[in-house]
Amino acid sequence: MFQEIIAFAILGFAVAFLIKKFFLKSKKKKDCGGGTDCGCS
Amino acid sequence: MSVQNINVALIGNPNTGKTSVFNQLTGLNQQVGNYPGITVEKKMGFCKLPNNVKANILDLPGTYSLNASSMDESVVIELLLNKNDKLYPDVAVVVTDVENLKRNLLIYTQIKDLEIPTILVINMSDRMARKGISLDIPYLEEKLKTKIALVSSRKGIGIEQLKELIVSYKTIPHEPCLNASVIDPEYFAKLQKAFPNQLMYKLWLVITQDVNFLNLDRNEIRSTFTKSHSELKRLQQKETIKRYQFINDVLKEGLKIDASIAKDIRAKLDRVLTHKVFGYVIFFAILFLIFQSIFSWSTIPMDFIDSTFASLSSWVAEELPSGILTDLLSQGIIPGIGGVIIFIPQIAFLFLFISILEESGYMSRVVFLMDKIMRRFGLSGKSVVPLISGTACAIPAIMATRNIENWKERLITILVTPFTTCSARLPVYAIIISLVIPSKRVFGVLNLQGLTLMSLYVLGFFMAILSAYILNKVLKLQSKTYFVVEMPSYKMPLLKNVGINVVEKTKAFVVGAGKIILAISVILWFLASYGPGKEFNEAETIVKERFANTTLDETQFENEVNSQKLENSYIGLMGRAIEPAIQPLGYDWKIGIALISSFAAREVFVGTLATIYSVGDTDNESTIKSKMQAEVRPDTGKKVFDFATGISLLLFYAFAMQCASTLAITKKETNSWKWPAMQLVFMSGLAYLTALIAYQLLK
Repeated sequence: MFQEIIAFAILGFAVAFLIKKFFLKSKKKKDCGGGTDCGCS
Repeated sequence: MSVQNINVALIGNPNTGKTSVFNQLTGLNQQVGNYPGITVEKKMGFCKLPNNVKANILDLPGTYSLNASSMDESVVIELLLNKNDKLYPDVAVVVTDVENLKRNLLIYTQIKDLEIPTILVINMSDRMARKGISLDIPYLEEKLKTKIALVSSRKGIGIEQLKELIVSYKTIPHEPCLNASVIDPEYFAKLQKAFPNQLMYKLWLVITQDVNFLNLDRNEIRSTFTKSHSELKRLQQKETIKRYQFINDVLKEGLKIDASIAKDIRAKLDRVLTHKVFGYVIFFAILFLIFQSIFSWSTIPMDFIDSTFASLSSWVAEELPSGILTDLLSQGIIPGIGGVIIFIPQIAFLFLFISILEESGYMSRVVFLMDKIMRRFGLSGKSVVPLISGTACAIPAIMATRNIENWKERLITILVTPFTTCSARLPVYAIIISLVIPSKRVFGVLNLQGLTLMSLYVLGFFMAILSAYILNKVLKLQSKTYFVVEMPSYKMPLLKNVGINVVEKTKAFVVGAGKIILAISVILWFLASYGPGKEFNEAETIVKERFANTTLDETQFENEVNSQKLENSYIGLMGRAIEPAIQPLGYDWKIGIALISSFAAREVFVGTLATIYSVGDTDNESTIKSKMQAEVRPDTGKKVFDFATGISLLLFYAFAMQCASTLAITKKETNSWKWPAMQLVFMSGLAYLTALIAYQLLK
C-alpha cells in the first residue's frame, strides 16, 4: 500500500510537470534573457 | 546609510567583450564568444559597488551605431530614448576594443550626444604591448569629455577602477561630442524652434529611427518636418562622416601604434584560414577531427556509466522490498536517468571543441568563409552562427538570427536551423550507430562510427542549405541585403571560459532534458505496467494455455508473461495502433512508442526504449545497448535493430521536427503559426519519405 501511494504520487508529479512544461506559459524566465533579473554576487 | 540603486547600461560594438565585462562586474557566467552576435537580448545582473551603491547592470546587444538595421540593435535605441523605462540608464558604459578604437568610438559619440553620463571602457588592454599600441589617457579623457577605464576583462584587470568610475558617475561631464545641428543647420534650427525643450539629437533619432519617445510621436514630427527617405539617408551619412572626422582628430594625438612591434601573425593566419580552397579544407578537417574524437574518447566513460546504471537497477530490484515502487525505480526511473547521464561525455566533448573554436576567433573566419556559399542559397554569412549554435540547441540558435538585418534571410534561417544536428539528436545517433555500424577502422586510421556521425552532421547542414535554396525561390519577399562581420583577433582560449561553456551547456542538457525524460519515463512505465482487458489481466493464464504442451523454465515463463503484458498494456495498444503506418519504415510498435514520446523532445527516444525494454525484460543487469541489441522480431526472429532499420531511424531523426519547444520559438520569432506549421509538415514529411526509401532499399 505504502509503495503504491508513493508510486502514484510520483506519477502525479510527472504528469503535472509535463502539463506545466508544455501547456502552461511560464511566468518567469529561468535565464537572464529578456531583461529579467537573475541575481548574482 | 541607505543603499543607492543605479542602472548601468553596457553598450558597444559586437565582439568588444561587453559580456566579459558584464560577467566580471556581476559574477554571472553569461556565455562569452569570440564571434559577433552572442548577445541578442538585454541581460541583467547586479553588482555591489563601493559607497553602498548597488548597480543593476544591463548587457545590451552589440550595435555598431544608433542607426538600427536589425532587431537586436533596436533594443538599444528603444531603451536609450525612453526615459520612462524603468531600466533607463543613470550611466552608460561604452565598451571598446583597443585594437578597433576608431570604429568603436562612433557609437560612443552618439550616446554622449544623448547627454547620458558615459564612461568609456577600453578593453583588451593586455594586448597593447604586443600590438605596439600606446594611449594618452588624460588627453583622450579631455577630448572625449569622459572618464576612461583601461580594462582587460579576460584577465580581470581594471575592473575595480571601472567600479569606482561607475560610483562617481555624477562627476562625468554631460557635454555632447558633436553639435547635432552641424548635420543640417537650417533644418535643426526649425526643429529647435518647434521643440525648444527637447534635445536635438534625440529628435533626430526619433525622425530617422522607428521609435517614439516621451509624448512625442514619430509620425507627428515627421509630418511637420517632412524629408524624403533618400534625403534622411544622406544626412545620416553626413552625420557619420562628421563623427569620424572628430574621432580621427582625437585619435591622431591620443593613440599611437608602433608598426615595428606589431606582429603580422593575424594577417598570415587569415590568408590561410579564409583561403578559397585551403580555408574549406581546414574547416572540414577540423570538423572531421572533432567527430572522430567524440566517438573515440567517450567510449570508456559511456560504457562505465551504462554498466553502473544497469548494476544500480539490479541492486534496487534485489535489495528493496518487492512492490510497485521498487519496480518503478528499477525499470522506469533508473533506466530513464541512465538514458540521459550516459550522453554527458559526448556532449561535453562536442561543446569543448565548439567553445575552443569560438574563443580562438576561428568561428568568425568560418562565417566569412561561408558567406559566399550561403548567399547562393538565400542565406547570409551570418546564418552560419545560428546554424553552428544549432549544434547545441535550435532554440537559442533561432534567437541568434535576430542580428540578421534582412527579413527574408532571417526567416529562411529560422526555418532551416532545426535541420542542424542538435545535442538532443546526439543520444539517438550515438545509440543507433553503436548498434548498426561496426566499430572498425577504415583506411587504417578512420573510425567508421565517427565517420558516420560526421556524415549525419554534414547531412543536416546540407539539408538546411538545400531547403534554404528552395525557400529562397518560393518565398516572394523583397529586401535589400548586405554583409558586415567582425573579424576579431586570434586569442588563446581561456580555460575558464571554455570550462564555463562546457559545464553550462552540458548542465542545460542534463537538467533541461533530464527532467522531461524522467517525467516521461515515469508515465511510460505506468502505461507499460497497466493495461485494460483480459489479455493483460490474465496474462499468466493465457501464457500457461499457450505453452501447455511445452516445458518452460521459470525465467522463460516470466519473460513470456512480461511480453504478453507489455503487448497488451496501454502503451502496447498505442504502439500497435500506429504500427501499420511505421512498419514500412522498418519499425515495430515499441519503436513507434519511442517516436510518439520523442515528439516532445528527441532525446526522450533512448529513455523510452530503455524503459520499454526494462519492463519486458527480467534481466535488470543488461545495459540499454545490450537490451536493444538482443531485441528480435517475433515473426521472423531477425534483429529489430538491423542495418536497414538503423539507417532508416538515423534518417528519420536527422530530418524530423521532433521538438515542441522549437515550434514554439519559431512561432514567437515569426509572430505567426503559419511558419512553424510549415516547418512541422515539411520536416516530418521529408523524414518519413527518406526513412521509407532507405528501409525499402536496404532491407
